[in-house]
Amino acid sequence: MYSKEVEKILLKVQKPGRYVGGELNSVIKDKKDVDVRFAFCFPDTYEIGMSHLGMKILYSLFNEKPYIWCERVFAPWIDMEEIMREKNIPLYALESGEAITDFDFIAFTLQYELSYTNVLNMLKLANIPIKSKDRQSLGQIVVAGGPCACNPEPLAEFIDIFFIGEGEEVDLEVLELYRKFKAENKTKADFLEAAAQIKGVYVPSLYDVEYNDDGTLKSFTPKGSAPAKVEKRLMSNMDESYYPENFVVPNIEVVHDRAVSEIFRGCIRGCRFCQAGFLYRPVREKSVDKINQECKTLCDNTGYDEVSLSSLSSSDYTKIIPLLEKMSTWSIEDKVSISLPSLRVDGFSDDILNKLKSVRKSGLTFAPEAGTQRLRDVINKNVFEDELLETCSKAFNGGYTKVKLYFMIGLPTETLEDVEGIAALAQKVVDAYYACENKPKGKSVTVTISTASFVPKPFTPFQWYGQNPRNTLMEKQYHLKEHITTKKVNYNYHDAGTSFLEAVFARGDRKLSVILEKACEKNFHFDGWNDCFDIDEWIKLFEECDIDPCFYANRERELDELLPWDFLDYGVSKEFLIKEREKAYNNTVTPHCRLKCSNCGAAKYKTGVCYEKRQNLV
Amino acid sequence: MKNVRIWFKKDNECRYISHLDLNRIMLRALHKSRIPIWFTEGYNIHPYATFPLPLSLGFRGEKECMDIRLIEDYDFSRIKTDLNDCLPDGIIIYDVTEPVMKAKEIAFASFTIRITSEDVMPNTLYDICSELLNKDEIPVEKKTKKKGIREIDIKQYLDKFKLERNIGGAVLNVTLPAGSVTNINPTLIQKAIERYYGIEVHFDVTKTDMYDKNLKSFE
Repeated sequence: MYSKEVEKILLKVQKPGRYVGGELNSVIKDKKDVDVRFAFCFPDTYEIGMSHLGMKILYSLFNEKPYIWCERVFAPWIDMEEIMREKNIPLYALESGEAITDFDFIAFTLQYELSYTNVLNMLKLANIPIKSKDRQSLGQIVVAGGPCACNPEPLAEFIDIFFIGEGEEVDLEVLELYRKFKAENKTKADFLEAAAQIKGVYVPSLYDVEYNDDGTLKSFTPKGSAPAKVEKRLMSNMDESYYPENFVVPNIEVVHDRAVSEIFRGCIRGCRFCQAGFLYRPVREKSVDKINQECKTLCDNTGYDEVSLSSLSSSDYTKIIPLLEKMSTWSIEDKVSISLPSLRVDGFSDDILNKLKSVRKSGLTFAPEAGTQRLRDVINKNVFEDELLETCSKAFNGGYTKVKLYFMIGLPTETLEDVEGIAALAQKVVDAYYACENKPKGKSVTVTISTASFVPKPFTPFQWYGQNPRNTLMEKQYHLKEHITTKKVNYNYHDAGTSFLEAVFARGDRKLSVILEKACEKNFHFDGWNDCFDIDEWIKLFEECDIDPCFYANRERELDELLPWDFLDYGVSKEFLIKEREKAYNNTVTPHCRLKCSNCGAAKYKTGVCYEKRQNLV
Repeated sequence: MKNVRIWFKKDNECRYISHLDLNRIMLRALHKSRIPIWFTEGYNIHPYATFPLPLSLGFRGEKECMDIRLIEDYDFSRIKTDLNDCLPDGIIIYDVTEPVMKAKEIAFASFTIRITSEDVMPNTLYDICSELLNKDEIPVEKKTKKKGIREIDIKQYLDKFKLERNIGGAVLNVTLPAGSVTNINPTLIQKAIERYYGIEVHFDVTKTDMYDKNLKSFE
């Protein structure tokens, strides 16, 4: 739905289908029948947000409650934003077409640090005061969750409530509490204090922060009854967890336009750079029957002819072959194709390939992450060169001619030799192609290597690591480029500026809220997009505020430093992270959860892989 | 195998679906409905559906159609109800027939256009439109894929129109060449008003029908 005012501008912007709603399965309620109006805001474009599984789960979960109406809101692209400002059209929700200004909850999912400016910009577009303290009444409660909530501090002055961990239960508990407090005419302060007692809730205004003279954190103290440690929430049984039977089916093409089932949460691998691998511990699988049923129901209800089996590393699902077999009993007849994202090099078996016959032979993507075995051992990415080459040969013999390889540069202990190793590995893949007997006749091979700059993240063994300075990263990119000697290898690299800013906010503290406030005043937005991101403008902003961004991005922390996110408990102990860090610097790998328990701490949740029977112990 | 023409209206939120996206929505709805339709054979197998005269983005359509092929008998009224269950509210199937004319016979389309403007009073807007439409020639710039931007006189195509006053400004009913040979988009009239009178106008366009070269309604 959209207002008359919006209707008049829709034909002046690109892709007006982003701004109108009206999709199949979107939920329309009568606002008179609900107690809680909930704006689920995704701080990026419609196409990105509508691809996000978490939003689909929570949207359906909330809307199943008769007293909640959850509506979707996305960041308007810059052309739409400009006209909305010019015509004084406030940010509105797609279901009702109404401004979200007076909604009970304005909720953001934090997927990426560079979307923080969009969070504030969306509040501003909705005419909602951006600072928590300027929103006094019980209403306009601004909440946030998602992976970036694991270091909520840069946003502490803006967000009333952070949800820590998985949201399916805690979100509803908070909404119930709000409904009760609203009916009893209680104040916002009362509500926040009570909410802080719920496990998985962090209310930043209930904590005092002190700093040392060198800018590091001195103390972090709860006020009143707020807990000193905030523990994450997690769903202990994936088969019993809520999963939607229906998705809103977008009318315009979005990035991931297909049905999705989540086959497990977490990852057994423990790659040391990967935040998700630590935040979502322990691994919890869904059963074959549950996944099969979800996929079938979703395809029936949406009309999608493609279903994706989503997880952090799909081939680690213990019953992947039985699952694919079970699904083929209906998917073939229904002309539904199955896709497996996040396949590991060592998980690319003939068996899986044969089951996924409908996969289009366009290209394959693997992520060795580092160019030499030594550095892959440092990051605990247990992928071996011969495995990669063997897998590529298998694919080439099967008709593939394009391979994409993802790497990171700027990893801890990296030398120029490691960087050169990336080029060498790409060359070996090219050579492997020409050594294949059954390679496609008369076709050339293309190996594309992409490098991202490593961003150290909280709750990983590298959370203390000082990111390579921007010029070092750029020198390494250049060095790699010089070592590529064939035109069969393409090289893409990301701008080091975005990785630098990402590193600043990923491990930032409350002092950064000044920066974000200023950025919002200056209408910064879409910093994750090259169209909008300007590192020079950001550097200027840091100078104006007299804050050194390198303090956050490039500084190596001491192990005993109090870190801004230390008060959060994601189940993984600091001792474990320190041990993993030591092993990394000694080029030593850690076996994955199914081979050996490394006592990370997640076993305290009493579920998942920590309680699976290990095959080698039987 | 049976050729089937599916007639639908496209309005409200679904006005803002491009032709390419409409194609995807229809294929998804056909897939969901399990109506036994024919798939193209060849390298990239997909359900076969074509649109005799695609609708511009932003227009309402009162009489749109899509052609498919059935591989087994299927009741036409069932196609209608089954497909409606699988589509967003803004697209409504209202009839299913066997095609009478061929898509390439389409030569004209008729439109109802509600014209409004925030820059001038409704009466003035009507007068402006009236003056423009009654000029001897109306040159406007038209973008074409092959030739880039070129100037054409749209007056030569404007022999069938009726302009009326209404509360917001004016309502224009016009029939214009449409189809594969000559295609005149009614928003060219909007561009002409904006060019010659320096005001911004809003065109709310509804495509009402399609015709063959003898102005016989498309069936």
